[in-house]
Amino acid sequence: MAVALQDPVDTDVAVRLTGLHKVFGQGRRAVTALDGIDLSVGPGEFVCLVGASGCGKTTLLNLIAGLETPSSGRIELTTSRPAVMFQEHALMPWLTVNRNIELPLRLAGVGRAERQARVAELLRLVKLEGTGGKRPHELSGGMRQRVSLARSLASAVHGAADGKQALLLMDEPFSALDAITRDLLQSELLRVWRATGTAVVFVTHDVREAVRLGQRVVLLSSRPGRVVDQWDVEGLGGADELTAVDTISAKLREVISSHAAA
Amino acid sequence: MSTEDVTTGNGTPGENGAEPLSANGSHSPQQTPEVADADAAIGGLDALDAPDTRPTRSVPARILSSVGPPVLALVLLIGVWQAIWASAVLEEQQLPSPLTVAKVTWDLIQTGQVWEFLWTSIHRAVIGFFIALAAATPLGLALARVKVVRTGLGPLVSGLQNLPSVAWVPAAVIWFGLTDTSIYFVVLLGAVPSIANGLVAGIDQIPPILPRVGKVMGAGTWASARHILLPAALPGYLAGMKQGWAFSWRSLMAAELIASSPELGNGLGQYLHNGMSLFDMPMVITGILLILLVGIGIELLVFAPLERITLSARGLRKS
Repeated sequence: MAVALQDPVDTDVAVRLTGLHKVFGQGRRAVTALDGIDLSVGPGEFVCLVGASGCGKTTLLNLIAGLETPSSGRIELTTSRPAVMFQEHALMPWLTVNRNIELPLRLAGVGRAERQARVAELLRLVKLEGTGGKRPHELSGGMRQRVSLARSLASAVHGAADGKQALLLMDEPFSALDAITRDLLQSELLRVWRATGTAVVFVTHDVREAVRLGQRVVLLSSRPGRVVDQWDVEGLGGADELTAVDTISAKLREVISSHAAA
Repeated sequence: MSTEDVTTGNGTPGENGAEPLSANGSHSPQQTPEVADADAAIGGLDALDAPDTRPTRSVPARILSSVGPPVLALVLLIGVWQAIWASAVLEEQQLPSPLTVAKVTWDLIQTGQVWEFLWTSIHRAVIGFFIALAAATPLGLALARVKVVRTGLGPLVSGLQNLPSVAWVPAAVIWFGLTDTSIYFVVLLGAVPSIANGLVAGIDQIPPILPRVGKVMGAGTWASARHILLPAALPGYLAGMKQGWAFSWRSLMAAELIASSPELGNGLGQYLHNGMSLFDMPMVITGILLILLVGIGIELLVFAPLERITLSARGLRKS
């Protein structure tokens, strides 16, 4: 095989952000949302971004998703087109569950038979077999978010079919749900993540959620957003998990209080 | 932005992710039962949380509750009419009895004239409506999505909606004479602003998240319009069409009534006009009732079902 290998470092990185800046507005009214973010996410890695309001978490996600362009800095993706899951389920209200999930596949020009097979598989994965013919308004909030997850996975995994890694960007996807549903969906997400092996960048303001879900937690400061600290929280349980939550929460409080002083 | 993929020899990411967690001694024994519990709980939660969308009443009960009140209202109305006629406060030429009007209508039906009137008017209104729809759709899309068009033409289109289209009849007659063109011109000016404004309102009310979702899925301008914008705007578009139909029917009647001439054939407007010329009140009332009947009929047979399907599919109304 005469394939020239490019930068070999790229092979173990799904996303690499280098010196990422984002400024909104111009002149004196300009607001710096992100100020030199350096971050990389490995293939299949689950990274949680935590920070208070105004830390540019969502902006960062939008930049990776290609919804906005950076003011300066580089975004390198070795993955397929990133799939995004929003805080709102953002399902098309006029489409059935099946049609919603297959929408990214239709847009990508996938044939009908393959679409149907994929949708059935995804419905099984998010435990919604038998609801394919329903419309979003006939489902509960938690079910809608699972349909939304299935739709994101459809688009992430489809891109991954040609040998690329999949990447899932999640913007506080569970924050509008009640506590019981959120707890169950968190374990569902972990199960789905293990089953599919996509890299996940998960934005949240809930430290406990971040520690529970992520392998790595990244703390961002607010206005401008910078990476303050990172913790490896993989496989923590019991007392270790609580300690990690306390440590990160303390640091988060410290970051927030610095704004009161300024 | 994205670099070329060269990760051929890389291990499966799923194992990469899962391995360290299950390798962790203290955590792994709890893992399996916890997941099984969660699965059972998810099913239970779905059963508890899913909104109940079944119809609450039986079919006969629903039909009775939707047909009963309007029929009752109609019976009451005719009763009042009959009572006023019987009290003889108004002269017979001014207010005929319901029975006289029924007789005139029955004669119209028996001689088959009614079909001529209805056909002439309805086919004009339908053709006018579809021309208006074809003109208003691109206009509405441009108004909604192109800022210059909106600031430039928006107030004019809204203003036209407030101008009774009868006001165009004299101009139309001067420009086009007593022809079908005049009538279609008036109908168009009545219907186009309503349909265009309906489409604009429909597009304006699309939650901004939906086009964003389309964008992250890689939908281009055309795919986004077809799969997201137009279906999302459908309820508003349909409301605009309904209003557009009402306006074109009204404008048509006004045009037929004012621009009445033998070359234009016999529509409902002309019939009404003839009734006025002959000072024949039963004819006038029959004309009004027929115009009303067509309006209600189209609404019930065409727009109501379309609206019900569109809205209940989106959960905006109980089916």
